[in-house]
Amino acid sequence: MEQRERILQIRDLDISFATAGGSVHAIRGVNLDLFRGETVALVGESGSGKSVTMKAAMGILASNGKINKGSILYTYTDERGEKKTVDLVKMPKKEIRRQINGKHIAMVFQDPMTSLDPTMQIGKQIMEGMKHHYNTPKAEAWSKAVRLLELVGITDAEKRMKQYPHQLSGGMRQRVVIAIALACDPDLLICDEPTTALDVTIQAKILELILNIQKRMGLSVIYITHDLGVVAKVADYVNVMYAGRIVEKGTIDEIFYDPRHPYTWGLLSAMPDLDTDDERLYAIPGSPPNLMHERPGDAFAPRNVFAMNIDDRLDPPLFQVSPTHYAATWLLHEKAPKVEMPPELKARIERAKKEAQK
Amino acid sequence: MTTEREPLLVVENLKQHFPINRNYTVRAVNGVSFEVYPGETYGLVGESGSGKTTIGRSIIRLYNPTAGRITFGGVDISGKLDAKTEKMLRTQMQMIFQDPMACLNPRKKVVDIIAQGLDVHDMCQNRVERNEKVAAMLEKVGLAPEHAARYPHQFSGGQRQRVGIARALIMNPRLIIADECISALDVSIQAQVVNLMKDLQEETGCAYLFIAHDLSMVKYISDRIGVLHLGYLVETGTTEEIFSNPIHPYTQSLLSAIPHPNPIVEKQRVSQAYDYATSGIDYSKGEKRHIDGQHYVLATEEELARWTR
Repeated sequence: MEQRERILQIRDLDISFATAGGSVHAIRGVNLDLFRGETVALVGESGSGKSVTMKAAMGILASNGKINKGSILYTYTDERGEKKTVDLVKMPKKEIRRQINGKHIAMVFQDPMTSLDPTMQIGKQIMEGMKHHYNTPKAEAWSKAVRLLELVGITDAEKRMKQYPHQLSGGMRQRVVIAIALACDPDLLICDEPTTALDVTIQAKILELILNIQKRMGLSVIYITHDLGVVAKVADYVNVMYAGRIVEKGTIDEIFYDPRHPYTWGLLSAMPDLDTDDERLYAIPGSPPNLMHERPGDAFAPRNVFAMNIDDRLDPPLFQVSPTHYAATWLLHEKAPKVEMPPELKARIERAKKEAQK
Repeated sequence: MTTEREPLLVVENLKQHFPINRNYTVRAVNGVSFEVYPGETYGLVGESGSGKTTIGRSIIRLYNPTAGRITFGGVDISGKLDAKTEKMLRTQMQMIFQDPMACLNPRKKVVDIIAQGLDVHDMCQNRVERNEKVAAMLEKVGLAPEHAARYPHQFSGGQRQRVGIARALIMNPRLIIADECISALDVSIQAQVVNLMKDLQEETGCAYLFIAHDLSMVKYISDRIGVLHLGYLVETGTTEEIFSNPIHPYTQSLLSAIPHPNPIVEKQRVSQAYDYATSGIDYSKGEKRHIDGQHYVLATEEELARWTR
């Protein structure tokens, strides 16, 4: 295995939000690693903390959010070509704005209409970052912006530079947002549900575009999504989050063909694939927990049909399945009873494997 | 087979235009025809702006159709409605909306929300009967009767959608229009709600007009599917026919865009592009052409020959 260069290392991150109803413990000890050129996906339901984790890395947590402990180490090469590692948790917000955001870590948000300025020509919006971070002369920034627009597959780039966001379709707008994110040649692109607001046909195109650009520019990408279909298309590694913890992590093949956590089973089988017949969908009972009221033990236990006594008392550690595959469930403990994944899911994975061999 | 049965809902050449100003009219729906049979699920899919929601709202008469005929249970419901037809329509056709928070009145208790239809149409003799009906319905959709006294904000998204379903079902409708009713829910909750809808259909025998953009869910729940694009129904047929033998290039591109939860296959797959402007297809010239069974495609003769080659 060749040497992989680690660019992001999150350790034991713990975040809570102060709200009128009390403190909400949104992130409870998240560890995450990202290497150069690779793609990591964070999967989970709304409220599982996937966006909050990445917002912490960008230094754009909401003002009532507080990082209780943990570190986010980010390694980058600065202008003078020196390698630097900084802890984004300890770095002042102003400094992050000046050194990191846009320049080294760029983010693509969910809704392209709200993340673009409706009163500004899109050319200007693309050039803004270059001017701010590198003082690029206008002519140079302009030609680079045109090149970026062409890169993201927008025709008539010169003409589009003078247009406003409302003159573009949803898919076009998201392409512009990606062009803006790429304007300062970042090493890390965080895509927060980049295709949720788009139609399926356009979604596929945008994902293929990001994949393409990633290959060409050697970017590392973090996807935040709840759509496992998207994950299957783009990711190398998958982290499944539930109630502020990573409950299962592994390579994409391990998560899709050999899932171990009951929550992952539920997620995988809740989404019908095209071969699902009239059988009932296997649904996870109950609803996501309210993090306002913390309960002892495993947060997933109330919804887990395989829950055991210990699940109500102790939060399971991450058990190792393979060198890259971990899952936080007591079912993997050596003393636990043997539990098989639901038969519907098993049949489906068999089908998927067969299809993959074709 | 379904063809021998009397259709519950017949939509013929439905047009829905919205005049914006003197020179400009939005043609949201341009001559769409389809049928829904009793007890079946008809799925309408298409991208945003293709007119799927508009069709649903025209059928239940939240809009006045510009042209075309809609027949529901043998009665014409597209023109001016007399009192009797209106009452029939309002009781026997119900709707479930997309956003479960926005469609429930936050100032009303759940019992009053669910019973509103009963109250409006004087369908209960007294309060006791009304409350009993609501309690039974709550149980049916997987909520507890105690929940009746609560307000919508005290529920989670999935539970709220159950309230929305209960409100539609309490009238004992023959057709429920489900407009993107699972799009706003989390993945794990979506499966719960879809299972519930399937169970209730088996129990009550109502038909669904299921409007969605998520093709894999539509395939799972629907018996027949209609594919919409730019206000035209480009292809319709049974789920089997559409998925195993898509004819129209738009349907093909739509199908190829569905992400599969299978990484090895998915990583190599490239979705098909379809651009109406450059495809050279003019929907307004096409006619509904029969393929086989219940499978129809909107095409001119020459296009059909090219696609089926």
